Amino acid sequence: MGNIRGKHTPIFFLFLLPSMFAFTIIIIIPLIMGVYYSFTDWNAVPGTPINWVGLDNYIAMFSDVTFLHSFIVTIVFSAISIVLINFLAFMFALLVTAKLKLANLYRAGFFLPNLIGGIVLGYIWFFIFNNAIPALGSAAGSDFFSQSFLGNRYTSLFAMIIVTTWQMAGYIMMIYVAAIQSVPVSLLEAAQIDGAKYYQRLKHILMPLIAPAFTITLFLTLVNTFRMFDVNFALTAGGPSGIFMGQALRTTELLALNIFNTAHTFNDQAQGQARAIIFFILLLIISLVQVYFNKRKEIEA
Amino acid sequence: MKMKKMVALLMVVAMVLALIVACTPNNDAPVETPAEETPAEEDPQPEPEDEPAVEAPVANGEITLVNNKIEIHSALTAFAQVFYEETGIFVDVQSFGGETPYAPALSAMFASGLEPEIFVFEGIAGYEDARGAGRVYDLSGQPWLNDTDLAYISPTDGTPVGFPVNIEGWGLGYNVRILEEAGIDPTTLTNVNAIREALETIEAQKDELGLDAVVSMTAGAGMEWVTGLHGVNAYLSLGLAYDDTSVIDALLAGEVDEERLLAFAEYYNMIFQFSDQDVLLTGGYDDQLALFALENAAFIHQGNWVDPTFAELGVNFEMGYIPHAFLEEDTEGIFVGAPSWYMVNARAENIDAALAFLDFMASSPEGHQYMAIDSGQVPAFRSVELTPEGPLSIAVMDWSARGMIYAWHQNEMPSGFGMGTLGPIFEEMARGNITPEEFTRMVAEAVATIP
Repeated sequence: MGNIRGKHTPIFFLFLLPSMFAFTIIIIIPLIMGVYYSFTDWNAVPGTPINWVGLDNYIAMFSDVTFLHSFIVTIVFSAISIVLINFLAFMFALLVTAKLKLANLYRAGFFLPNLIGGIVLGYIWFFIFNNAIPALGSAAGSDFFSQSFLGNRYTSLFAMIIVTTWQMAGYIMMIYVAAIQSVPVSLLEAAQIDGAKYYQRLKHILMPLIAPAFTITLFLTLVNTFRMFDVNFALTAGGPSGIFMGQALRTTELLALNIFNTAHTFNDQAQGQARAIIFFILLLIISLVQVYFNKRKEIEA
Repeated sequence: MKMKKMVALLMVVAMVLALIVACTPNNDAPVETPAEETPAEEDPQPEPEDEPAVEAPVANGEITLVNNKIEIHSALTAFAQVFYEETGIFVDVQSFGGETPYAPALSAMFASGLEPEIFVFEGIAGYEDARGAGRVYDLSGQPWLNDTDLAYISPTDGTPVGFPVNIEGWGLGYNVRILEEAGIDPTTLTNVNAIREALETIEAQKDELGLDAVVSMTAGAGMEWVTGLHGVNAYLSLGLAYDDTSVIDALLAGEVDEERLLAFAEYYNMIFQFSDQDVLLTGGYDDQLALFALENAAFIHQGNWVDPTFAELGVNFEMGYIPHAFLEEDTEGIFVGAPSWYMVNARAENIDAALAFLDFMASSPEGHQYMAIDSGQVPAFRSVELTPEGPLSIAVMDWSARGMIYAWHQNEMPSGFGMGTLGPIFEEMARGNITPEEFTRMVAEAVATIP
């Protein structure tokens, strides 16, 4: 066996070459260029000289109130979204794996929103929050619902959480469904015969057995909510305004939109690049920590 | 076994080769392809001008014009055809816009060795790029220069280098009928007190006039260009001579004129208070236009570029502009400028033909017909007597013909400063979270960070 592998190693590498080549061109080289640009005053116009500015971009970034604010908002947004998405997705998964009559219909229904692109979704919900809900709200005589959710910094953030949850819960549900279906029925039945209640079976049999699914779903929701851009861009565009540390800014501008605006609205490409690097490192650390802890849970199970 | 290995190896080699071939820059492409083919492929519009190019061997040459407005492509092509019949010079019009953004398409042309005779630039950034590449042609002495105030003047040496494509303008747009019914003479609305009085008069008669609100204005997320750019320009140029750059110069040096800024803040605070609050705080562009188009508001804070949308909506009432007169003293004039210019490319072959084309556009009746009617724009030349069809374009042309115009300086602010930094401050005032005094202080603080 070892002999065969040794003999074939060069061929294996050759097979790897095309995809390694593409990966290098598309991911590795741009990443290295990005790190380089973040230390310069690069402005993306061909032909203009690029000057080394050291850590200037990084220093400017952390003294920018809008970036700090985006940081906080993104963490709040992600934390609430992750909990909400996973909770709902798990509930949906339990629902559609129970022996219900219309289980398949529910499954398709819950998954459907995931097929709509984020930008389109943003515009649809923009209309719902700005027109439909206030119209219904004033018809029902409710003060809270007759105002647009997008007009207030707190409800506006919550509106984004609702849309994100609505979009992602179905996809995460499918992962839970697959995991639940792989659990042998005999184990659950044995527990039932031993007298375990539904909640006990859930907590002590089902959940430990699908621990690997939690690793995946938490990772996916974490990364996706942290990188949230399209719904943010189309639904709130960062609005409404608010004051943070004495400066007027966009209160629902998440990190990805903040980076986009830095690079394109403020036309500060190098600064945007530097923010993207910090964003990348942050995401890497959080993901690694999360996967590490989840993996430990799996081993215990 | 051996056979299998050979096959595998061959396949890998083939794959790698295919990748290498696919990724090697095709050096002979620009030579093999005719000059106009590469960009034409990206052009979303069909190219009707292929025909004459085949029919007539170019007697007096051929020039290429790169246009950034896809919506005027067919009018411009038709005008180019008139020019061809007149002079035998064929103008290849290539339009980019919409899904093929103009600036990258133009850079791609330059990068592939093409040098179109005429291309569009939109201000200092485009000018600087062209200057860096040695493409700026000095247009001094061109006959049409006497007929316009809006040629692009090089900031480096003061020579004219850009032919104004069109002009656009804005003031506070009004509905003629509603003002008449409310008993207000718009010609008197040239200072802040008169405007305040007019707004209050209409507010009091809102129900009789069938209005939702007095003003249709937006200040929310995504609409910062209305406040942070067009709005701010009132502070930068109202009441100043067209070439007076004192306020913008001070701003770029980090200083504000506090008295002027406070008057400006109080004016916008007033506009916000008389606006439809839903449209103001959460509405988009369509909401803003609809409110005015349906005659549910008497005033609108938008420029004449809304005319085509109004035409689509079937709007047929009369409109006009009053100045954004935020000062106590009278200031008569709206903000008019050229959003883009044609540059003649100094590195192109057929410069004389390009100059002839621009002169033909500025001075011939056909050119005037094209600029004012067929392309639906407002021409930048005084000698044009045709009137465009859009109601607000007519108003812009009217103010412009009387010479009552103030300059555009909003694009001279640093990128993103108007929309990104000042926009949220405007929105805070619109929400009633800050007073005009706090607005003034916050803007002053933001301006201080510019230098």
